[in-house]
Amino acid sequence: HPQLNTCLLLSLCNVTGLGEPRGLTLNPDLPAQTLSLAWQSDSTLFDLEIFHTEFMNVVLNVIQADPVTGLHSWTWHSPLPLECTSHSVRIRARNQQSVSQWSPLQTIPGWDIPEKSYMFPEDKMIPVGSNMTFCCIVNEKEDFKEIKYGRQEMKATRLSRRSYAITVTNQPASDNTGTNVICSSQKFQMLTGTVVFVGYPPGDEGLVCETRDLASAECSWKKGRDTHLRIKQSLTNYTLNGRDCLEANERKTWCSSKMWEENWTLEARNPLGTVQLTDSAQLTDRGIHLLAPVNVAAVKVEAWSATLQWSWSVAAYKKLEMVCQLRLFAHELSSTRNYDGPGLSSVVLEGLWPDVDYTVTLRCGSKHSFWKWGDESAPYRIHTKMDRPDALDVWMWMDSSNTGHVFWKPLSVRKSHGALNGYEVSQSSAEEDGRNTVSLPPGNFSYPILLNNSSDVTVAVAARNPAGLSQPSTVTTPAYRADSQLSVSELLGTNGSFVLSWEPNVSASSGYVVEWFPTGCTGLCPIDWKKLPESDRSFTVNSDSLVAGVRYTVSVYSLYTSAPTLLQRWQGYSQEMIPSQSVSELSLNQTGSDVLLSWKATEMKQQRGFIRGYTIYLASAAHLDLIANITDPAVQSYRVKGLTLSSYKFVVKAYTSAGEDAGATVAIKMEMDTDMLFVGILVPLGIMFCCIILFSIFFYKKREWVKKAFYPEIPGPKVSGDWSSPRGPLDVKPSPHSLVHIVKNPEWDFTKEGLFPVPEEEEESENDNMEVDTDSDEPALLRYYNQVVGDGSHSNQVSDSSASSTASMGSTQTEITYAGIQSPSSSQGAYSGGGYRPQMQSVTGPAEPQIEFEADFQDDGLNAGYKPQCSWQLDSPEAENFSGSLGSPTSVTSSQFLIPESSEEKPQPSNTWFHNFLSGKS
Amino acid sequence: MAGRSANGRHGLRGHAGRTAALARLLHKDCIQLLELYRNSESLPSSPVDGDYLVSIPPLVPQLSDEEKISILHAALKECLRLLEDVITREDAEFSDEDSEYKRKRKTVRDRLGHLLASTEQLLVDGQKFEAKVKEELDGQAASGSFGLKMWIVRVLQDLVHWTGQTSDTLHSMPAEMEKAPKTMSRRTRRGAGKIRK
Repeated sequence: HPQLNTCLLLSLCNVTGLGEPRGLTLNPDLPAQTLSLAWQSDSTLFDLEIFHTEFMNVVLNVIQADPVTGLHSWTWHSPLPLECTSHSVRIRARNQQSVSQWSPLQTIPGWDIPEKSYMFPEDKMIPVGSNMTFCCIVNEKEDFKEIKYGRQEMKATRLSRRSYAITVTNQPASDNTGTNVICSSQKFQMLTGTVVFVGYPPGDEGLVCETRDLASAECSWKKGRDTHLRIKQSLTNYTLNGRDCLEANERKTWCSSKMWEENWTLEARNPLGTVQLTDSAQLTDRGIHLLAPVNVAAVKVEAWSATLQWSWSVAAYKKLEMVCQLRLFAHELSSTRNYDGPGLSSVVLEGLWPDVDYTVTLRCGSKHSFWKWGDESAPYRIHTKMDRPDALDVWMWMDSSNTGHVFWKPLSVRKSHGALNGYEVSQSSAEEDGRNTVSLPPGNFSYPILLNNSSDVTVAVAARNPAGLSQPSTVTTPAYRADSQLSVSELLGTNGSFVLSWEPNVSASSGYVVEWFPTGCTGLCPIDWKKLPESDRSFTVNSDSLVAGVRYTVSVYSLYTSAPTLLQRWQGYSQEMIPSQSVSELSLNQTGSDVLLSWKATEMKQQRGFIRGYTIYLASAAHLDLIANITDPAVQSYRVKGLTLSSYKFVVKAYTSAGEDAGATVAIKMEMDTDMLFVGILVPLGIMFCCIILFSIFFYKKREWVKKAFYPEIPGPKVSGDWSSPRGPLDVKPSPHSLVHIVKNPEWDFTKEGLFPVPEEEEESENDNMEVDTDSDEPALLRYYNQVVGDGSHSNQVSDSSASSTASMGSTQTEITYAGIQSPSSSQGAYSGGGYRPQMQSVTGPAEPQIEFEADFQDDGLNAGYKPQCSWQLDSPEAENFSGSLGSPTSVTSSQFLIPESSEEKPQPSNTWFHNFLSGKS
Repeated sequence: MAGRSANGRHGLRGHAGRTAALARLLHKDCIQLLELYRNSESLPSSPVDGDYLVSIPPLVPQLSDEEKISILHAALKECLRLLEDVITREDAEFSDEDSEYKRKRKTVRDRLGHLLASTEQLLVDGQKFEAKVKEELDGQAASGSFGLKMWIVRVLQDLVHWTGQTSDTLHSMPAEMEKAPKTMSRRTRRGAGKIRK
């Protein structure tokens, strides 16, 4: 509200006589966004107002105190680029509460007057985190839309009719080509724009200057953070002691100077700031960063030493007190050595090893005020000469009383001092003069020894290489002690090693030898040993030289001038394992209900540990049942008692401290003892035989009682009147008998044969019967039965047999049933040529007429015809019930007819042998 | 760019075919180059207001194919000059750090040179056309870094436009043009053009 503001201010105006400031001039600095005001006045206190001209927005209202001078000025820094819009300024004098008139408005025009689009400020470079106001002036006929800072849309305020502004706070670092601020109109997305470069001032640090040649200087520093200013004009510029640093301007971080100066200042400058780095040092204090030695060479190379020479490219180095470091690289022989001296240019390298390839590098530094190591020389190769080998480590091992081997250990590279050509073995004894010397190729590490007599033999072994022969190593044959000839102690491994200790021996003037080899080994065994000084009382055989599961014999010898003496001997496993093989020759032997298991232990090689015992299992289908644990490994049998008659499977396992082996299995089927088997059979038989005899005697004695009890006397029939007939032949008219014909009746059932009783007298009228039969069906057959029953006198035998046969008519077993009827008689028929014999054949009286009948049948039976049984009771009620069995097999029923059910109803005189036996008849 | 088929409407073969394929490839490169520049500068995708920097006589139907190619060749020549100006200005103003945009920029410059050499063989002997460039709008005249960037965008837009025009024109040429001698009479060529239309 500039008008209101003006009016208020005007209201304060009075006529105090204060003079209005004169000659107000405005001097804008557009890039700096500053406006310098100057005016003239006699007063010392002023009110100042600055407006955005177009909208008359007051942007500054201050009371400006001024010193006593008559020329007054003031500089205002505008937050807004002055181009954004027109600014107007007025001023008045103040004296306490009285003020003068305002000076006329002075205006600097903005760029929103020309008819074009602009954006301000242009290409500003500001530090990260700065705040900045941008304005967009849209040209005529364009409608402002938005201003984007990078990709971010900003809130704009209107400064004038065509000018809009945004304020960006805490700006982040720009990308490569700055941050674009784009103003867009409703019509164009890129109406106009500007670029702002946001970055950091230089951040370099750590300036250090040094000299390489005792004259010039070389200063280096560490690059600081990225300034994010990529445009060429904003790149950091470096000067060293005021001189342009050409190397740094080519993006290097070092700068050189031809002369050493005590004080060095590096200035790094970019549009956002300047950083100064300083370094100060005397040349002698700072020391020298020496250049690399050149022309390095070995002038004298020996087996154990070499002389190295080099030169310097800078003459000033020759007087410099320096320290040099040699680094020797060789396989397992690397080392670092320091040498010092003025202008050092050669050293003698001591302590080298013969026949070794060394690579040498060299670097030096000033000895006084050591600064840093100089550049390293190029690698140089030295190969030392050979020397005689070291003495061999020799041991002798006797595998019998007069044979043995002398062994020696191969020499390492550090001890052979050159590739070996071979070995020389010489043998001497007290009884023989001279030595027998043998040369062996380099691959040999043992030599056999033969003893001709009981005296000790001394063997000397030496190694040879091109430089010469080593000192001979001698060993005297120790006394032969076979494993079995000594009481050995059991030795337990500790973490795969053997820890040994022994009592000191006064005779061991030359120390001790610990020897170990696989137990039971013969011939060229892998003997290993270690020579120990006499002060040692213990030794650990490392697991590297031991194999788990192998039994070792470990011996300690004392050494003195003569032959070694065995002090102590052990056997043990460095690490026990389960046996690799089960027990052998597992067998069993049954004794009654006991079983004796016996086996043999596996060979020592397969034991792989001390056998601590055996376990015996009874194996079933699913698991093993432990039945015995034998903790004494010497016991190699076990008796299993009280087994019943069955099959058994036993598993025997040997075990070490590591566990059981897989086990050996043996099976047995328990059998009864042969003697007991005989007893078991014969005794019951004898008892049974005796019982039979006793029963027979008893029944014979009591046969009367038995007869009464089981076969009482059947009373004879009582007939009224005198039916007795005189003794003599009885004329009996043979009764007509029936014949059975098997007639096929296709009309009834062409698969079966019907049985037809045919009376003899009806044979002549066969045709008539056939007609009847032709028409007959199954009911007709039934009717036949009725006829039989009803006409019992007609043919008893026929009715009987036909009843049997027709009872099975409803079944497919008809023919079988028929044979079944016949079978009982056929057994009797065996006595009479296969004919059927009725059971009543011997009965007197009513049965007599059938004797003749039987005779006829016997004749017929010869023809293998059907022989019907003689019905024993033609009129018996059961005969009527035969029809009730129709449809079912009646063969069994038929046989029952042969046995009389009641002797009372039908007295049946018995004439069998048993009957005679009971009755006492012969 | 509608109507640009893979092998051209008439199935160009031989040198003209290869030139058309090169023009199409270059046109795609130019589109990618402009896109890369806009992305790196966070610029809107809409084209910068204003006419093309390079201007040529209108390609009226009465012109023969050879004449059109000659005119477009002149435009492309100016485009190459402008692109080289862009490269010079960019490398002078900004750091020469490697970027995908700069690699593509080099590719476009190389292929544009090849296309110019290739189209030159299709030109009619003795005929010379010249394209005009609005010099007042080049990078020297633009104010500030933003003006330079806008100028670069306009140069890239011109590249897209004129390589597209060249590609379209080459692909619309008849297959017979390859066989026609360079000294073919103007009437004959125009006749062929009428038949094609």
